[in-house]
Amino acid sequence: MAQAAVRMDESELIRAAQRGDQRAFEQLVRLYDQNVLRLALNLLRSPEDANDIYQEAFLRVYKNLHTFRFDCSFHTWLYRIVTNLCLDALRKRRVRREEDTVVETSEGFLDRMDTVEESRAHGDPQRQLMSRQLQVKIRQVLDELTPRERTVFEMRHYHGLRLRAIGEMLGTSEEAAKNCLFRATQKMRAALGDFV
Amino acid sequence: MKCDEVKKALPLFLYGELTFEDEERLEVHIDECEACREEMARSKAVFQSLDDSELAPSAEMLAECRATLTGRLANVPMERGTFWDKLREGFTIHFHFAPGIAQPIGAVAMLALGFFAARMAPPSLMGGSFRAAGMTEPVTSRVRYVEPDGAGKVQIVVDETTQRILSGSIEDQSIQRLLFAAAKDPSNDGLRVESVNLLKNQPQSSEVRKALLYAVQHDPNAGVRLKALDGLRDFVDDPETRQALTQVLLKDDCAGVRTQVIDMLIQHRAPSMVGVLQEVMGKDNNDYVRMRCQRALHEMNASVETY
Repeated sequence: MAQAAVRMDESELIRAAQRGDQRAFEQLVRLYDQNVLRLALNLLRSPEDANDIYQEAFLRVYKNLHTFRFDCSFHTWLYRIVTNLCLDALRKRRVRREEDTVVETSEGFLDRMDTVEESRAHGDPQRQLMSRQLQVKIRQVLDELTPRERTVFEMRHYHGLRLRAIGEMLGTSEEAAKNCLFRATQKMRAALGDFV
Repeated sequence: MKCDEVKKALPLFLYGELTFEDEERLEVHIDECEACREEMARSKAVFQSLDDSELAPSAEMLAECRATLTGRLANVPMERGTFWDKLREGFTIHFHFAPGIAQPIGAVAMLALGFFAARMAPPSLMGGSFRAAGMTEPVTSRVRYVEPDGAGKVQIVVDETTQRILSGSIEDQSIQRLLFAAAKDPSNDGLRVESVNLLKNQPQSSEVRKALLYAVQHDPNAGVRLKALDGLRDFVDDPETRQALTQVLLKDDCAGVRTQVIDMLIQHRAPSMVGVLQEVMGKDNNDYVRMRCQRALHEMNASVETY
């Protein structure tokens, strides 16, 4: 019941935004922007690139919202835009030299990734024991996945999306998404098996 | 199910993506096979380690993204669809009314639709035009209420917003007054960002500084507060500014804002700052802010802690 009410609110927001209501658009953005930023940040592992994806995705939504016809959920439509942008960014990254996340500033050397928070709680002793070596290895394995494997894995593992929904967002079948996830997890298992 | 099949199905099992039948078969096998139980335990451990590697954008990063987006959207016109899109939307009924009240509400809806169709149609279709002198046509209309007048006609009260374009120098007081109002508009973050961005170039005016100080202390958007801080950079010596910045350093929940404030405040090492810096050292959870405080206290030969 509550979910139906939320959905009705969302469709009202979309219709109001389609009529040019800026506040409705802002509220619509705020329903989803945290997850969009989280997805982009985890896929690209760069705050600057994640910010770029965030800006471009919502600008596209803003410019094209009038074409949204409720043929699918707004969530699916938005994630289709975001994942396409992320896939493009990941593909481009494969053909250029990877930027180092460590930069030199007037305060000394800083890791740009230190400006974002890892999900583990600072006070959790068990999580604090997680070795730096394992984290580095995980980053390496994630970087070695193909853009599609990476995206499917990210959406399933961290965002809890069903494979059917992921297939819909990526414009592919549930079976193809399942194969991507399988390949990704096999690579993870092979690379990380000795560390855990 | 055989061991090889279990190995392949394990990731999908852990993600809950197996069919009910396959899940049953896998669980039966796991119960009976120690090697596969161990394999499942290892897979779960891998999944757990991956959980821990997830990055979460900080509140500051999200606020910065939002502020940037708001600023960028202010310069992009929103496509509202064609006239025919609007007409089609007008004919789409999104709610199901009870049959008993459908007819009168439908009549009012059609009346309102006719009114809006008349408003939205291009002048060439309407066979005439009207324009208030000095003003553009209404950009938004809203029916406030409708009322039958007893003689078979209907009275409709409509709220209309009109746009007027004003231009002038930033030093012009009437322009500044509008910017002061826009800098406090609670409904539009982008407008406040742009207004403060313009005002910050005129900090020599005490009225402008007052507006910037208000924004630094009260604006809910960190992007606006940062812009306002930029404008106050050369006035840290001013006691009122200094006092306001001290309060921001102690109370602002955005580390980005506090970082900027601490950099500004410690340029001028007033002895009265020692107590504030010590307080910040004790309560601020941001490493950079604490590091800057610590360095400033050392340079002022003051102790880092209060005893």
